[in-house]
Amino acid sequence: MELIIFIILITLGYVSGTIVEKKHYRSIENREEKFLSLPAVTIKKCGPTTKKVEQVRLVSGNAVISVDYFKRILAGLRNVFGGRVKSYESLIDRARREAILRMKREALFSDVILNIRVETSSIGQDANRKKNIGSIEAFAYGTAVTYRK
Amino acid sequence: MKYTPKAFQKNVNVSETSLLKDFFVLLGGLFALMVLLYIVLGFGVDLIVPRLSLRAEKMLGVPFQQFYSETEKNASSEKLEEMLTELVGLTTGEKRTYQVSLVQNDLFNAVALPGGLIVIYSGLLDAVESDQELAFVLAHELGHFAHRDHLKGLGRGLLLYLFISIVAGPDNFASDFLGESLVGVQMQFSQRQETIADLFALDLLNRRYDTVDGAVSFMKKIIEKEKSHLSLALFSTHPAPESRLFALKDEIREKGYKISP
Repeated sequence: MELIIFIILITLGYVSGTIVEKKHYRSIENREEKFLSLPAVTIKKCGPTTKKVEQVRLVSGNAVISVDYFKRILAGLRNVFGGRVKSYESLIDRARREAILRMKREALFSDVILNIRVETSSIGQDANRKKNIGSIEAFAYGTAVTYRK
Repeated sequence: MKYTPKAFQKNVNVSETSLLKDFFVLLGGLFALMVLLYIVLGFGVDLIVPRLSLRAEKMLGVPFQQFYSETEKNASSEKLEEMLTELVGLTTGEKRTYQVSLVQNDLFNAVALPGGLIVIYSGLLDAVESDQELAFVLAHELGHFAHRDHLKGLGRGLLLYLFISIVAGPDNFASDFLGESLVGVQMQFSQRQETIADLFALDLLNRRYDTVDGAVSFMKKIIEKEKSHLSLALFSTHPAPESRLFALKDEIREKGYKISP
């Protein structure tokens, strides 16, 4: 009985996880294309420029992505053998990119976002227990600069 | 400085290999590891068990004894104890103290546990029709003790469970899943062990009663029970009773034990 529940959960996790992930990546790629003209960079100063700065403000965006059952089991198996935990790679990638996109959305009419930082943490009820990751949070923040036209 | 926007061409942060393939490879690896461990541990236990002292065995039996010591005493449990003492008196070789415990349960089964504890389920007691049949059951369990089958079965299961827990962590899904299924299976004895215990019991029965009718009638009872339960021989505690009956009849013919027609 337990085995049947396990198989159902893992199948559900795989199918829904794959569908959700594909959909999310499509959306991420579309929006990245849209925001391509707004640079978000890690440098602190925007070099020598004659432009006058009109506005400077802090912009931030965060995203929380949950692990699915299949990915969790796969990572559990990886814990036994070691190696790259491939199942968690896409989660972190999605969370970071989503967070940066949300930050860019907040800085919609700015010219550039300087000094951006991305931080991650795991949250959820299982996050602090050993070998358990509930969800991953990515938080992106930076300084949005608008020049005088 | 000119900023040239450029979209991601290829995502280097995510591996491109299939997760599903990864999953099956790892699962297969885990399974192969367990099978290998099981074989190695099996040999290890078989090597250690015959060298284990009676005192060590008694210590292993303490938890079981505590668990079963609370069963109430009544006329049938006293009768069982009496019969057991009689049978033990007839055995040769090393003597240990035996205990018999009657558990109220409809299961048609009896179990030999470390430390000389024999557990008889009331379902079995209700089904036996004569003293001889009951004596055969007790003697059969004594046979397991004489060959230390109970320790072999238990030892393999426990060692394996311990090892999985160490490798995969105590609260891991793998240790729970494998532990539950394997420890359950390991409490059973192999067909060879059952047959050897049967022959041991047959000899004891002959010494006690001068006939071995109880053995044959009891074995026929098991065959009937198995048929009515439609259980698979592979998974039942006492496998293939037909072949055990066959072995019993062989032995009876060979040794010339008396049996009423």
